[in-house]
Amino acid sequence: MNILVCVKQVADTEARILLTSDKKSIEIENKYNMNFFDEFAVEEAIRTKGKVKDCQISVCTYGSNKATEVLRTAIAMGADKAYLLDNNGYDIEDPIITAKILASFAKTEGFDLIFCGRQAIDDENANIGAMMAEFLNIPHVSAILKFDVLDEKKARVESEIEGGKEIQEVQLPALFTTQKGINEPRVPLITGVMKAMKAQINIIDPATLKDLSKGMIDESASKISVLTYETPSARPTVKIIDGETPEQKVKALIDILKDEAKAL
Amino acid sequence: MSKEIFVFVECKDGSIRKVSYELLSKAKEISQKSSSIVYAVIIGSNQDVLANQLKDFADKVLIVDNEKLSKYRWDTFLSVMEQIIKKYKPYVMFGPSTTTGKDIFPRLAARLNGAIISDAVDVVFDENTLKIKKPLFGGKIISWMKCKDDSTFFVTFRPNSFIVENRSLNGELIKENIDVSEDSRIVSISTEKRETKKVDLQEADFIICGGRGMKGPEHFQDLEEIADIMGGRVGASRAVVDSKWRDYDDQVGKSGKTVSPKLYVGCGVSGALHHTMGMDTSKVIVAINKDPNALIFQYADYGIIDDVFNVLPALKEELKKIKKEI
Repeated sequence: MNILVCVKQVADTEARILLTSDKKSIEIENKYNMNFFDEFAVEEAIRTKGKVKDCQISVCTYGSNKATEVLRTAIAMGADKAYLLDNNGYDIEDPIITAKILASFAKTEGFDLIFCGRQAIDDENANIGAMMAEFLNIPHVSAILKFDVLDEKKARVESEIEGGKEIQEVQLPALFTTQKGINEPRVPLITGVMKAMKAQINIIDPATLKDLSKGMIDESASKISVLTYETPSARPTVKIIDGETPEQKVKALIDILKDEAKAL
Repeated sequence: MSKEIFVFVECKDGSIRKVSYELLSKAKEISQKSSSIVYAVIIGSNQDVLANQLKDFADKVLIVDNEKLSKYRWDTFLSVMEQIIKKYKPYVMFGPSTTTGKDIFPRLAARLNGAIISDAVDVVFDENTLKIKKPLFGGKIISWMKCKDDSTFFVTFRPNSFIVENRSLNGELIKENIDVSEDSRIVSISTEKRETKKVDLQEADFIICGGRGMKGPEHFQDLEEIADIMGGRVGASRAVVDSKWRDYDDQVGKSGKTVSPKLYVGCGVSGALHHTMGMDTSKVIVAINKDPNALIFQYADYGIIDDVFNVLPALKEELKKIKKEI
């Protein structure tokens, strides 16, 4: 069984993020991680490999050279092969293009099972998984909480739905996006880290992939564009409510919420 | 070019979700500026009563009624939406950035080779263009984006982004006869719904959130009672969820839910970036914490520095009084 995991390198939540003076681009402090939800995807692939015969895990990302760091993290955790779909340092805004590139790669290699994180924590789009599945014409299930391979052609999954959970059986090949709670992602062992440092990263120019050409994936193909970036307006300094007793403080707070903030 | 604005109406447990009314209200405001009209699209089974409720909010209500649509599945709903969009060729379609919206809209945009902007918080019509506001990096940066012309355009918005306004439009009801196709590769075995009459966390106007300072799961009962008085919901920080005091469903923050209630009250919440990124778009933020240096006070509008266990009983009593006055 061939498993593909798609991962994204994202700015750490603590990283400082600034705008350039022309407000046209963003500068990110050099603190990056594997996307939070992608760790569950890598972990689930590794656990699945432990349960089925002849299984291989490939991990891929669409990004710059720096993104090889997250590929190595995935290898340190237990993935077998790594692929960088090189964006030559140019971040495309249009998720459709990213999904097309990843889907085209998946088509070229051929996979039975694809895992992605539920969403990226930088843009919170939750686009790529379902889009990839559409381009590959395979079923998808979003936000899965439990995963079992029944046989080579079928998986049983529990997933989050509006206000509850659902159990479904899905014919493979299929794509699944992982939700927090599905597993506890492992911390790589030192031996894994050593292996990952030496691992070969396959670098692919997306324009050479099946059914793709440069004109289909460059800026001119993007259907959306950024007009401008802004920094959010800062909240005014907190007003600390004074009072002798907790009761007095609460009374004063309620008055302010009613009269000043109009929040009650 | 047609300028019609379509809104995908999401229903839950037999009623229309508040976010759908929010999107219709905003769509109407935009359509008045762009001299266009608003279509509500409601997909399901036996939803005549619900469709009637939409009349006040849309110029036209498209109803697709089929027993195969009684439960949401992306494959059946997608087949319907695809045909509707191909038939009417709307300028833009709005949808909710909810579990369902996040499941169907990306795949719909991909199928129609359209343009999509997800998880937006505002839209303005200016210089003959729809400008979409979308926070990035947990709200550290705000981006304004647009769709290049001629693409079928989809935008999903976070719940609680807009105010609901009933304009008594008395829109026309139109029944659409559309074949529904199902993807046989997916078979539903069972569904389990949480027994709750409570409002969805992301749609709640009032959220009272507990952090590690709540000391244990048993103390969340106080928060539950206050949430019930206010018709709101209890939220939790990551530390609380990781300690299994509360379900993941309640988690507010970067790896949980992003919320924007009218009033957020943080109780014993330290205010780690991870958490504040999920709530700093709340309209009014109140923090209760005994540590005056807690980070949460940097995000709060109002703060009480005191032991949360001394404050909560008084808060409960005062809020009870207010609800009686109304």
